[in-house]
Amino acid sequence: MPTLEASPVMDFQSETYKDAYSRINAIVIEGEFEANDNYKSLAEHLMSDHKDELIKLAKMENRHMKGFQACGKNLSVTPDMPFAKDFFSQLHGNFQTALAEGNVVTCLLIQSLIIETFAIAAYNIYIPVADDFARKITEGVVKDEYLHLNFGEEWLKANFETAKAELEEANRANLPLVWKMLNEVEKDAAVLGMEKDALVEDFMITYGEALANIGFTSREVMKLSAQGLASA
Amino acid sequence: MFGLIGHLTSLEHAQSVASDLGYPEYADQDLDFWCSAPPQIVDHFKVVSATGQTIEGKYVESCFLPEMLANRRIKAATRKILNAMAHAQKSGINITALGGFSSIIFENFKLDQIKRVRNLDLDFKKFTTGNTHTAYVICKQVEEAAPKHGIDLADATVAVCGATGDIGSAVCRWLSERTKVRDLLLVARNQERLNNLQAELKFGRVLPMDQALPQADVVVWVASLPKGLDVDATMLKQPCLMVDGGYPKNIDTTFARPGIHVLKGGIVEHSLDIDWHIMNIVNMDVPGRQLFACFAESMLLEFEKLHTNFSWGRNQITIEKMDLIGEASVRHGFRPLLT
Ligand SMILES: [Fe+2]
Ligand SMILES: [Fe+2]
Repeated sequence: MPTLEASPVMDFQSETYKDAYSRINAIVIEGEFEANDNYKSLAEHLMSDHKDELIKLAKMENRHMKGFQACGKNLSVTPDMPFAKDFFSQLHGNFQTALAEGNVVTCLLIQSLIIETFAIAAYNIYIPVADDFARKITEGVVKDEYLHLNFGEEWLKANFETAKAELEEANRANLPLVWKMLNEVEKDAAVLGMEKDALVEDFMITYGEALANIGFTSREVMKLSAQGLASA
Repeated sequence: MFGLIGHLTSLEHAQSVASDLGYPEYADQDLDFWCSAPPQIVDHFKVVSATGQTIEGKYVESCFLPEMLANRRIKAATRKILNAMAHAQKSGINITALGGFSSIIFENFKLDQIKRVRNLDLDFKKFTTGNTHTAYVICKQVEEAAPKHGIDLADATVAVCGATGDIGSAVCRWLSERTKVRDLLLVARNQERLNNLQAELKFGRVLPMDQALPQADVVVWVASLPKGLDVDATMLKQPCLMVDGGYPKNIDTTFARPGIHVLKGGIVEHSLDIDWHIMNIVNMDVPGRQLFACFAESMLLEFEKLHTNFSWGRNQITIEKMDLIGEASVRHGFRPLLT
């Protein structure tokens, strides 16, 4: 039986670490910023009957963003925001299109399922390798993200029959973007001690659990949650 | 509801099973993919006891593959086991057996130190290694198969390879106290543990493997030998009964010689057919009836409503616990495999 290799000791102040952190931290900040924006848009345009709840979620995202900005400052890292804007651009564009067309199911899949699960996976894998300051902040944030995921799950579960076809279509269009995004940050994430296989696995588990809660069968979950992964 | 955590035997095997089950997304994938794959419940079935009692179970495929150990993807291997456990617990299963490499990995990498998996606190009371039942079944196989091959235990020397392990030490306890074996040879790598075991048993001798094997009328293998074994089969006694209770089972081919009888150890047969699909893809001669004794332990605990981690930790298996699980095993219609 082989032995478990000791986890590498992180040098949070090394140039290599800080360089990778400038992009990962920016992605997280941008993700939280867009999440705030997306929930506000949903509250205003498509889901006014859930307005109070969505405004609450949006405010949490804003707090998360400030928390992660503090994490960057704490390591004297300037986040590379143009990189992060570009990183999210396709997913952001798809959300904006769905919003304009009034496709609430697609909007929820992108924000409440995909982006929240992406955040949950990244934060779960980051926590054990984070610096002390960032660990405490991230631990608080990830608890909130589960609530946000749950918001989307509950709504989609209640509307499963009418939402099913659009969910499948939106999954086909958007999940492959996640695999592409993970590939783009694979190297930087590895510098921070986050392994790609663990990120993909965590994503698939949380995403699959959400799809199962919404009403998909386990066979459908297996297919939906692996969509596009083979060609990524 | 009881559960079984299992895995497939190789990457090639996993690819063909995925294809057979109709998952092309999983069928053409390499080891990297399996290192990222989430656990899945792939079967939901009923088991009927000899008493008529019926229980339901779920099979959790962990997506662990032995190649992960061989290729040093250790973190992935440990994640597979913890994730499968979390999945079983979230699915509301009362008692789940850690099959195949699962319990070996759990013990070897001390996964009991990790209680939190994502947003879930693992409740170890809901899991069992199944080792008590496995040890019991191996002992019964020794007792019942030896006479069939002309070996009288009262006049026999039994070597236990892997004697200091969880199953091995339990087998040694049983053979010392409950049988009349003339001599017991304790074989393992760790000398200190061997000495402690012998002191506890007040019976048997500590010997290196190459000296123990030529003296043994019965050999019990309970060491985990991922790569098989390099032993000169010509030095063995004839007849010699070899009970292969390790995982994976790879003694068969090594010792294919006249007078040497290899028995798959730790396997039981149920008196009634079990209507499960997944066993058709693991290597059992009679998939509807034969299964690993560790899996059967979670069934027995569910039948008996003993929702507790019956087998847990190292060297905790007592004769009393073996009696208890053994009686349940007989009552519900399980028999040790004897051919
Ligand atoms: Fe957030
Ligand atoms: Fe969120």
